[in-house]
Amino acid sequence: MKRTLLNWFAATMLAIAAASPAHAHGEGSALSALSALPMASVIGGSAVAGSVAAIPLALSVSGAVLVVTAVEASARGTVLVLERASDGARASVEIVGRGVAGASLAVGSVIGCSVIGSGVVLSAAGQAIAFIPNAIGRALLHDEQLSY
Amino acid sequence: MKATLSLACLMLLACCAFSAAAHAGRSCDEKPPTVQAVMRGMALAERTREALDASGQDLVLLARVGQDLRKYGVHYSHLGFAYREPDGNGGHVWRVLHKLNECGSDHAAIYRQGLGQFFLSDPFRYEAAFAAPNQAWQQKLMPFMRDNQRALQMHHRPYSMVAYAWATRYQQSNQYVLETMAAAMLPASASRMKAQAWLMAQDYEPATLRLDALTRLGGRIASANIAFDDHPSEKRYADRIETVTADSVLRWLERSGLGGGAQSIALSGAGR
Repeated sequence: MKRTLLNWFAATMLAIAAASPAHAHGEGSALSALSALPMASVIGGSAVAGSVAAIPLALSVSGAVLVVTAVEASARGTVLVLERASDGARASVEIVGRGVAGASLAVGSVIGCSVIGSGVVLSAAGQAIAFIPNAIGRALLHDEQLSY
Repeated sequence: MKATLSLACLMLLACCAFSAAAHAGRSCDEKPPTVQAVMRGMALAERTREALDASGQDLVLLARVGQDLRKYGVHYSHLGFAYREPDGNGGHVWRVLHKLNECGSDHAAIYRQGLGQFFLSDPFRYEAAFAAPNQAWQQKLMPFMRDNQRALQMHHRPYSMVAYAWATRYQQSNQYVLETMAAAMLPASASRMKAQAWLMAQDYEPATLRLDALTRLGGRIASANIAFDDHPSEKRYADRIETVTADSVLRWLERSGLGGGAQSIALSGAGR
């Protein structure tokens, strides 16, 4: 009797869990990717001639490997000084907010660089840690909450 | 026997406690997106901007495939308004006005975002569709896009993912879009009830999802953002859940002659 009742209970709970429409990927998570992807901007440096926005030479090639040479707190977030491993080209980027980058990056960390039409994605271990939008990217980004 | 029943009661209580915790809402997942997700999301945003620019429209309904709802016969999961806005430098940008459920909770808020944000949400498929209401309707809708007070006129904070299309206890994201479309055709300060009456008169037909009792119970227990108590009993107990889907709105727009057909945009290998 005891075993039967427990089996019934377990089977019912499993069936309920499996049947739940909430198991589908929810629109409720729509905000999560955004809140976890900090925006960044370039500080100073020499731009690539003819580029749409001031993307520095060190961040102009997809697949480049960059090394963090300095991490500093700023009023808006964290400033990273990055050095391209292949030729020593440098760039300073400011990551806005309390991003993942600020919490986990240290001097010596290796950063990946992916150049796309709307900007540059900086990454660590396959995860995007910041996005640097160019003019095209800036036109595609806006975030305003109208109600609470 | 007595001990067995006590054990079952204890497990039921534990289950109820879990259920209560779930109803309080979950915190958002702070896991960073993959590089691939950012690249594809921004690529779809760019492709969509190009298609919207080429369309010559000022305002469209924009749909995405945020989640896999194929087993319910639904393709596009989420709908918002996309509209052209001057950028202050002689050009323009596209903005999206839409309603988002917050982290699986029982409420939702209205956002004005860029196309980038609209597709940086880790969608199930990198695919979008848009359809334009007729020009006169677009111009009536524009003040609802730009004026925050009017943008919130139809908004109702309590949220259920499967809100009944003809009730006002909850409101889901696609329902907000549909009711705002109706509000633009009604006298100022019209209520949600008036908007729904107008939609019924215009022959809008919500989607009917076939959800059996077990599925409904599972959804209600496991998620704060799913409720069925706004549905009429006779429909609910016949497993008929009538709710506003993006697909049903796009179909109605074309069928009614009040707007055009949907145009889709997809990246190759569009799946997550």
